[in-house]
Amino acid sequence: MAIFANALPENTGDGYVAAAYIVFFVLLMIYLAIMALRLSHVQRDLRDLQARTQESARADETTGRGATGGASQGHDGQTLEREPA
Amino acid sequence: MNASSRHPAGSTEIDHRPPGDGERASRPSVPGLRTLSILTVAAMGIALCLVFFYAPIELEEGLLQKIFYLHVPLAIVSLCGFVLGGIMAIAHLRTRDRSWDLRSYVTIHMSLIFGVGVLLTGSIWARGSWGHWWVWSEPTLVSYLIVFLLYATYQPLRFAIEDPERQARYASVFAIVAGAFVPLNFLAVRLSTSYLHPRVLGSASNLPGSMRFTFLVSLVAIALLFATLCSYELTAKRTRMLLRSRSRILGYQ
Repeated sequence: MAIFANALPENTGDGYVAAAYIVFFVLLMIYLAIMALRLSHVQRDLRDLQARTQESARADETTGRGATGGASQGHDGQTLEREPA
Repeated sequence: MNASSRHPAGSTEIDHRPPGDGERASRPSVPGLRTLSILTVAAMGIALCLVFFYAPIELEEGLLQKIFYLHVPLAIVSLCGFVLGGIMAIAHLRTRDRSWDLRSYVTIHMSLIFGVGVLLTGSIWARGSWGHWWVWSEPTLVSYLIVFLLYATYQPLRFAIEDPERQARYASVFAIVAGAFVPLNFLAVRLSTSYLHPRVLGSASNLPGSMRFTFLVSLVAIALLFATLCSYELTAKRTRMLLRSRSRILGYQ
């Protein structure tokens, strides 16, 4: 932005041009920041899910039910499908 | 699960489980997203360089005219996005495939964000050129504001409906009707005789070659940005839905 700001002629007094482009980039940055925040939530949820799945697999092993080998038992008793490739 | 389950952060999510095969439709797919992103960054860089270092300064408007390389492409892309959202809604109603509804939602959502950019950059230009932030007697400005406000009601309408089937269907009907209104509105403004707002395209435009080239590159750059951000949004939504579906199956939700 500094390069483009320097490209503006000094005598025109047109801060409006800089303002318009800066507003656009700020808007874009705000949107990207919101997206990044949402993705960090997804990452956190994914980590939680992974931890709980591993925990439940370990609990199954200790209770002697054994690993399900690609399919695990949900709380509602449904057998899960294999993860799509 | 409700049609609009509430996200912990407060945002509202759409439930796009298609009847029968939820896994297939909610599977995140990112083919070409990296290429699209690189192309967008390159196009934006080239467009900015052309705007500030190649395009000549206009005699009447001076440097202020350079706002048009941003404002007009944003307006064109956002209006096309609204129409595209309507076309995708037609595809949804025809095929009953919920992924079309998701695409329509994301396209309209992105067009609204671009619409904010149009209104802000347009107001800045109007202030510099006319001395006013907004001119209510100008049909181009008011008609765009009407379209923007019309689409601003899309999300509240959508998330006011709990049932996912009805939500998707009503949102599609809204998107089609509003999408049809956009070209009609544009045509009505074009036919109006008394306007102050300059014409960039069409017979009233007399842009020299270098300005036209810069404008077209800017238009392509903004269109690529729109496509990239839509792809990001779609991928993020599909990933979230897939994650939620896994959690639900595992009984964690």
